[in-house]
Amino acid sequence: MNIRAVSIIGDREFVLKLQELLAKVSVRVVTSDLTEDYAKQVADVDLVFEVAPEDIAVKKEVFKNCDARCRKDAILATTTANPWVTQLARATKRPDKVVGLNFTKNLFEEKYLVQIVKGLQTSDDTIQIVKEFLEKAGITVVKLEETPGFILDRVIASIVNEAAVMYSSKLATKEDIDKMMKVCVNWPMGPFEFADNLGVDKVVDILNSMIEELGPKYQPCFLLRKMVDAGWLGKKTGRGFYIYS
Amino acid sequence: MEIKKIAVLGAGAMGHGIAQICAQAGYQVNLRDVKDEFVEAGMSKIRKFLGGNVEKQRMTQSEADAALGRIKGVTDLKEAVEDVDLVIEAIVEDINIKKELYKELEQICRPDTIFASNTSAQSITEMAMSTKRPGKFVGMHWFNPAQLMRGIEVITHDKTSKETLDTMVDLCKKLGKEPGICKDSPGFIVNRLLQIWFNESLNMYDEGIAEPQDIDTALKAAYNFRMGPFELRDMVGLDIGIASTATQYREMMREQFKPPRCLIMKVKAGDLGRKTGKGFYEYKSEK
Repeated sequence: MNIRAVSIIGDREFVLKLQELLAKVSVRVVTSDLTEDYAKQVADVDLVFEVAPEDIAVKKEVFKNCDARCRKDAILATTTANPWVTQLARATKRPDKVVGLNFTKNLFEEKYLVQIVKGLQTSDDTIQIVKEFLEKAGITVVKLEETPGFILDRVIASIVNEAAVMYSSKLATKEDIDKMMKVCVNWPMGPFEFADNLGVDKVVDILNSMIEELGPKYQPCFLLRKMVDAGWLGKKTGRGFYIYS
Repeated sequence: MEIKKIAVLGAGAMGHGIAQICAQAGYQVNLRDVKDEFVEAGMSKIRKFLGGNVEKQRMTQSEADAALGRIKGVTDLKEAVEDVDLVIEAIVEDINIKKELYKELEQICRPDTIFASNTSAQSITEMAMSTKRPGKFVGMHWFNPAQLMRGIEVITHDKTSKETLDTMVDLCKKLGKEPGICKDSPGFIVNRLLQIWFNESLNMYDEGIAEPQDIDTALKAAYNFRMGPFELRDMVGLDIGIASTATQYREMMREQFKPPRCLIMKVKAGDLGRKTGKGFYEYKSEK
């Protein structure tokens, strides 16, 4: 299937961002937020991007409504960072055509990576179609099975957690830990800089979701939990491991 | 204490590079190995590296000559260490051999000479306690290639004196390196966090979540890691990788350091990475 028309539904900010990202492909884009009768606009599109807030009930509603109005062969994609593809698929009559497309902005440059998330029912055809479409838009894509944290958050949260254990047990200062990872093995950022960029609360959330599905080794370091309690969430609150003015 | 003269023990993979950097910074260096041919091999690598620096106009011929002139290759241990301010030990990673060496050094060296071990895997505390000068004992962990990697981990243990630590931090800076201080613990800072980065990625592959290519691409494209974990494993060699992972796991006994199954199976199959033409990826012969 060739994607000729797409619909983007959800938070205004993300809708606009996504529209901008797709500017390189010749495709008709219709956008709407959740207060509008968005389902009316999806009847003839090939692909729907849901960019609603991270609330499973809200997302399910969007999927149900779009499923009822879309063409039978249209693909429904969620941009969630949570492992919700499989249950969103179940809310539709086209579970093989439901897929996760998680956008991550590069930390240093204005470019995006998409993690294509395969739910239990997602077909290989669906994966292939969205992959080709996104590559046409000049976006780098990777594929994975639905799992907590996907690829990126899982790796980064694990690094942050171990670094927090090292720092709270006073093996080294946070500055030295960050510096050594950069100058000894060329990491782009140290673990605490990653944490402050990602959000300490988000790191703890990811670790907790991994405990649930992957086991107790992901238990968040108590330091991270205390930082969340203190509101030291990283750059977004002006203080995380470091202070930002 | 001011360091003026340094002995580097072991002219192998790390030792020759360490000696070169010390000499380039103006220190007198005795580079010692147990056989003439090992010393000569180290000296020849240094000459080649300095020659390359001159070719790339990173230094003048006279600077290169001066640096080389400050390095004396020796095989006799007494001659190498009897009048130095600092011994940097970069011999084989075997705790018993290292402890034997330190006992000998204790007999020959001045009482104020600092001992620094370039180990990446052995306990600094255990080695320090085999000498009569634990206060003057530190870890000095260089990264390969020593000439190019900017960071050095300075490892302290409970008895390392503040003066010794200050001297070593100061020395690293004079060598043009970035020091990072870490208490003695398995893997120190860098290798411990690298193990997590490797293991978490390899575990995802083991769990059937994603292919090596997807994991490597994701980390490079989103966060600008220069190499992905699978590429780096292949480059360094899976046999080396499994050894360091197994050591870390043995020391820490925590689930996150357990060697991933895919690593164990690849090593059993003889697919050790680039050097065998196949690891997590396949490599065409470059003939």
